[in-house]
Amino acid sequence: MSPVTKADNTPSASFLAIDGLTKTYNKVTVVDRFALEVEEGEFVSLLGPSGCGKTTTLQMLGGFVDPSAGSIRLEGRDLIAAPPSKRGLGMVFQSYALFPHMTAAQNIAYGLEVRKVPRAERDERVRQALDLVGLGAYGDRYPRRMSGGQQQRVALARALVIRPRVLLLDEPLSNLDANLREEMQIELRRIQQTTGTTTILVTHDQTEAMALSDRIVLMRAGRIEQIGGPEAVYARPANSFVARFLGKTNLFPGTVGADGRSISIGSHVFAAPAAATPGATIVAVRPEKLGFGEGGIRGVVRNRVFQGTQWLVELDTEHGPAIVQRQNLGAVPPAIGEATGLVFEPDAVHLMAPEADK
Amino acid sequence: MSGRNGFWALLFHTVFVIFVLAPIVVVCVVAFTPEGYLSLPVNGPSLRWFEALLNNRDFVSSFQASLLLGTISATLAALIAVPTAIAIVRHEFPGRTALLSLCMSPLMVPSIVLGVAFLRFLSQIGLGGTMVGLVISHVIIITPFVLRTIMNSLGSLDSALDNAAASLGSDGMTTFRRITLPLIAPGILSGWVLAFINSFDEVTMTIFIASPGLTTLPVRLMLYIEDSIDPLVAAVSTVLIVLAVLAMVILDRLFGLDRMLIGTNDADKDK
Repeated sequence: MSPVTKADNTPSASFLAIDGLTKTYNKVTVVDRFALEVEEGEFVSLLGPSGCGKTTTLQMLGGFVDPSAGSIRLEGRDLIAAPPSKRGLGMVFQSYALFPHMTAAQNIAYGLEVRKVPRAERDERVRQALDLVGLGAYGDRYPRRMSGGQQQRVALARALVIRPRVLLLDEPLSNLDANLREEMQIELRRIQQTTGTTTILVTHDQTEAMALSDRIVLMRAGRIEQIGGPEAVYARPANSFVARFLGKTNLFPGTVGADGRSISIGSHVFAAPAAATPGATIVAVRPEKLGFGEGGIRGVVRNRVFQGTQWLVELDTEHGPAIVQRQNLGAVPPAIGEATGLVFEPDAVHLMAPEADK
Repeated sequence: MSGRNGFWALLFHTVFVIFVLAPIVVVCVVAFTPEGYLSLPVNGPSLRWFEALLNNRDFVSSFQASLLLGTISATLAALIAVPTAIAIVRHEFPGRTALLSLCMSPLMVPSIVLGVAFLRFLSQIGLGGTMVGLVISHVIIITPFVLRTIMNSLGSLDSALDNAAASLGSDGMTTFRRITLPLIAPGILSGWVLAFINSFDEVTMTIFIASPGLTTLPVRLMLYIEDSIDPLVAAVSTVLIVLAVLAMVILDRLFGLDRMLIGTNDADKDK
């Protein structure tokens, strides 16, 4: 791998380096200066609502959409100049895109055939790939005779058998039913860890992104909102969009005191978890970190749902609606219509700058 | 769903089928008459008129001309239609709908108008009454049929298939040969058959272009009944009907007729 030295770009040390990647259609910018560095073996998810540009970004990586600007470098090699067939990336499509006139084994062998891999090696690698995805006995089946989950596995085996430098997954689990999806998530993670293939997943499902990824890239309207590990992004969202997108959350308007050491939400004052900038703030508290008790934020229970392992309680508070999740340890939460206080540990809160929404 | 038809529905279907089939059956029976005029073979069947047909140079040469013309025209039409269909279905370009309308327009123009126009045009460029002239005119009027079935086939393909092949390292030509072509083959084949039938069957336009030395079978038949109606006509019809039925049976055995005529491309044949 010879390092590429173009005058305008310093070769990056990271495995996959994306910089300033932009796509504009008829003056509408769908991806705006996307920048990301991915380490070898990493599993990164692009997460966001539909229309956030995540799929376009993936297609630019795959070579199916030409970027308007920016660079993609894989091990220092410029990818944008290469056609999709020369990028050496594996891709799993949302529709799986299995070749319907070929058996599972023939589908998997296709990438090896066009690479002119000798017959014996090809057969062996196809067999290994089928075993890897747990379809050893299904090589002779045609895709239409397979279930969605099996087709999904064939698509994955087909993408992996060419030993791609990077595996691109475009919402691969979205066509599966809920149970199967969970099963495939675990399976996908296992396979990715077995092969050690650097993987980029596009999804709109935050639990999927959190379950699978080493890092999550949260996108909205073509821009990156936040990049970080699943736990970090969940615990410390950069703004209210991220907080809301990654599961349920409570957002209360608050004020940081002049000394930066205390926070008040209305009349409820508590110590800041860390030194904060004085002024208006948004206090985010996850529903599972709120409890019922004396003091705190005053509210009235609007709705109460029992979900077996937990209770889900919706309240109207003086600072807007709130939601509380309590693990079912025997205690019954306040009934509908009952007034209560919402309490939380000071270090359960996360402060965010007030939304600069237009 | 109950699979039973009511009495009136059954009656209607029976009458309808009789109505459609009766003339064909009558023609076939008449062909076996030993008499010199159109009549039912009440005094036992005879192959007299089939023998007469085989000895009729004009009919035999017209039959050959029609077969050759249909085969060449349908093949050329398919060769033109494949890239055209791919361009129209898979790509966005200026004039895309105009191209489609242009390719489909021969269906809208009355054949008689085309006939007059081709007569003039072909003789102007010195191709009047030649096989080349006939092929050109037939290709133009039968291409819409092939184009339509191929476009249907292409349209029902997942467009991600090409991208999937590309991501696996397949260049455009390989992808076409190994993925696209096998998947649209049923559409090409059914289009070819439709095109061949339309070429073989075409009279209105061809009657203007054909010359005494080079005439297609239906035109020859037309001209023949102008001066004489004898059982030879019935014999020709019978031969055509038998060939058509044979072709249908073979195609059905090979590919499944429903699938071909509907033009879907579930590649169900596990080879």
